[in-house]
Amino acid sequence: MFKTTTSQSGRAVHLSFEGEVIAAFDGDNVAAALLRVGKLQFRTAAKNDGRGPYCMMGVCFECLVEIDGKPNQQACQIIIRDGMQIRRQQAPNITSEL
Amino acid sequence: MKAAVKSNFDAIIAGAGLIGLSIGYGLSRRGMSVLILDGEDTAIRAARGNFGLVWVQGKGAYFPPYADWTMRSSELWPKLTDELQEIDGPEIGLHQDGGLTICLSEAEMQKRFEKLDHLRAHQNGRFRFEMLDRATLKDIMPGIGPQVVGAAYCAHDGHVNPLYLMRALQNGVVKNGGVCISNTPVQDICKSGTSIRVCTKDGDFECQRLVLAAGLANATLAPKVGLRQSLRPQKGQIVVTEKLEQQLPLPTLLLRQTDEGGLMIGDSHEDTGFETSVTPDVVSGIANRALATLPGLADVGVVRSWAALRVMSKDGYPIYDQSETMSGAFAVSCHSGVTLSAAHALDLASYIAEGRLGQELDGFSQRRFNV
Amino acid sequence: MKKKHFQVVVIGAGPAGMAAAITAAKAGLKTIVIDDQRSIGGQVYRSIQANSDTPPQYLGNSYYAGTKLSEDFACCGAGYLPGCTVWQITETHEIALVYSGKAELITAEYIVIATGAIERPMPVRGWTLPGVMSVGGAQTLLKQSALGADDAVFVGSGPLLYLTAWQYIKAGMAVRAVIDITGTTQWRSAFPFAPLALMQPNMLLMGQKWLREIRQKTKIITNVKEVEIKGQSCAEAVSYTLSSGTKIDLPASHVFLHQGVVPNVNLSMATGLDHRWDQKAFCWQPVTDTKGKSSDEQIYITGDGSGIGGAKAAEISGRLAARAIMKRFGKFNFLKELYYKLRYLHCLSIRPFLDRLYLPPVHFRLPQSNDTIICRCEALTKSDIFDALASGATGPNQLKAFCRAGMGRCQGRNCGLIVQEMIAVHTSQSMAETGYYRLRPPVKPITLAELASLEGPWPE
Repeated sequence: MFKTTTSQSGRAVHLSFEGEVIAAFDGDNVAAALLRVGKLQFRTAAKNDGRGPYCMMGVCFECLVEIDGKPNQQACQIIIRDGMQIRRQQAPNITSEL
Repeated sequence: MKAAVKSNFDAIIAGAGLIGLSIGYGLSRRGMSVLILDGEDTAIRAARGNFGLVWVQGKGAYFPPYADWTMRSSELWPKLTDELQEIDGPEIGLHQDGGLTICLSEAEMQKRFEKLDHLRAHQNGRFRFEMLDRATLKDIMPGIGPQVVGAAYCAHDGHVNPLYLMRALQNGVVKNGGVCISNTPVQDICKSGTSIRVCTKDGDFECQRLVLAAGLANATLAPKVGLRQSLRPQKGQIVVTEKLEQQLPLPTLLLRQTDEGGLMIGDSHEDTGFETSVTPDVVSGIANRALATLPGLADVGVVRSWAALRVMSKDGYPIYDQSETMSGAFAVSCHSGVTLSAAHALDLASYIAEGRLGQELDGFSQRRFNV
Repeated sequence: MKKKHFQVVVIGAGPAGMAAAITAAKAGLKTIVIDDQRSIGGQVYRSIQANSDTPPQYLGNSYYAGTKLSEDFACCGAGYLPGCTVWQITETHEIALVYSGKAELITAEYIVIATGAIERPMPVRGWTLPGVMSVGGAQTLLKQSALGADDAVFVGSGPLLYLTAWQYIKAGMAVRAVIDITGTTQWRSAFPFAPLALMQPNMLLMGQKWLREIRQKTKIITNVKEVEIKGQSCAEAVSYTLSSGTKIDLPASHVFLHQGVVPNVNLSMATGLDHRWDQKAFCWQPVTDTKGKSSDEQIYITGDGSGIGGAKAAEISGRLAARAIMKRFGKFNFLKELYYKLRYLHCLSIRPFLDRLYLPPVHFRLPQSNDTIICRCEALTKSDIFDALASGATGPNQLKAFCRAGMGRCQGRNCGLIVQEMIAVHTSQSMAETGYYRLRPPVKPITLAELASLEGPWPE
């Protein structure tokens, strides 16, 4: 579980992840907001291959989520907004497996 | 890999791009021992910059031998695919369900029609196409943008994964006992008794058949076998997107979706010499046209881009030549290495094995430029 | 449309970028800093402005060294574009960027690339499971979001690992264990350079303090020859094997990996600048002169992006590059130049020792199990790479063509070094001979709409 290490104050922001409403801190990035409430898996790269944030600096491209209908958003690079609807990114169907 | 196991082969091929590998595979499947010599990992390579179309429409509209040869290759493609399927490795993903050239103005429609009509006229019914109006096209591709006027549809067209094709051909060569060596470009060629001697920095090799398939480098190699190939580079830029759900029902001239899901979008024709830089204005134009064609792609991410140099002869058609001074030496170049891969592997390789180019390739000699 | 022009464009707002901008702007040069993050500081000083208001003590003094720098930057007069992605630098020194969803080209007389470093990949089995992050990622969460994971296991080696574990402990988080993969080979090769390291006693004492205070709260496990992360849909345990052969499972849902940092060369390579393989640091570095000038007369590369030296060295290298640019405008101060040069050399004196001590052992640089994922973007395993090698791929670009390794969004940032070494070993070539993926723009993905917004004409 992730814990907050300082006494956080400030405006609470509400977003939804996979339909579930979660509270977050104003100014946080999407990845941190999701990790804070224990959501570790952000997407599937392939069947049985779930992924979550890794580098938190925008270079690994693992933390991709769908935000308000737009896919491939790097969660660690985007600041949360009230009412944001986030969904896990599913890998597109691929017809040939290597 | 520093040295080959032996130094005598039935055939040596300079260049492991699509032409070299196709011919190499074709010779190896006939039981010939084959050595393919390739340049460095970062050498200029047309084959790695290939779009992947197996394209018939428009080819040779004003040069019937090319139209015939292209159609022949298109018909041979299923056979090549079946053979390559037997070999371990990824599927090469051949689809021959037809292709579209999307037109964004009446002028484009008209121009396209004229070209294809001209082609149809000399093909004796072998070549068929249809001009689709906007409504008909929309049934096939619902996402077309408001600027799309229509398209030219040709049932003979298709696409394949060019990189997996290369891998499959290379696997095929090796499975048939052939050898491929990289970082070993051909430096010199000379006669050695009744054989041909090929010299590289890692040693000399001898063969009965030599095929020069080194792309733009053929211009420097051809004279060593008494031939000429006047070639120039023509740059084409391509952008590649992230993987998407399969949504493009057919490949188009400028836009196709790979089996993995990424979209490949082109294209440009630039005469900028031997440089392969990607330029913002050109890729921006490519993106613009793609969005005029399918506006729904607006939020799709471009993950890489590249530029490759097409191997262009003076008239843009292939050059097939057989040396008159060095028996058994051939030089081959073209810019449609993918489309012609089947004809190269199955027909051309036979001709080379027998030592004589077939009649239908007479019109492709470099001599046609001497008029 | 007329393009915006600057005398100096700095890419990256970490210590090197900020220092370069401060120096250039104060010399009167029209300067702008472009950064893809939303606030200044880069990685090492991430969220420095927000944290300076109410500083959490657990971040440590070396972090707060960034406060003064950030304050100086805020008032130096340089322009600043946050949240802006640079996707290409052209041959004519145009910088292609995307800002607020729109692409734009700006021109520069001089460009300073200060894009810093990234962590070396650590391909242990299970490293892609949710719950596994890089130590840098864990530290960023701490700095930026005051978020830490309870009972995490830290695995790897290097100053960042010890610093972050220490910060965790200081912040009151329970650390399950620190698995230190530094081996006796590393100590032996670093030892001759210890005297040089003694020129920076503060750094050594600080490192000792971290280790001491970590040991007070958790165990540091050494002599580990293999690590694997187990779990079904997320990390559940770290399984480590001691050199004696004993295998131990440590339950953990949060695992942080780190085995050093390397220059982030994606922008400099895609720009076509010369690079060389540095065998001692075991990474690619851009070829530069002592002031950071690259193989292009108008492009300078500074900070950890030109060679790992740490935050202080990065700051000074930024100043040196800006001074070299100032000189080209006729502004030169010999004494200041000398001062910074000497300080720079001093900062770097500890590097030969640290580089050798913390060079990861080969069995951690390379994957041990066949099903370990190597190319994360394309989900290719060690077996997949070997299949492509068996098909005859003898270089990274041929391998890329054969199996798609390196074709994903990260453009090799995750897999490049692993793949390069796998090829080198398989083909018995040196790392330098093997080479690297040919990198191309866009250096980070941009959408078709963003690309189209540059309004290029339809192709012929």
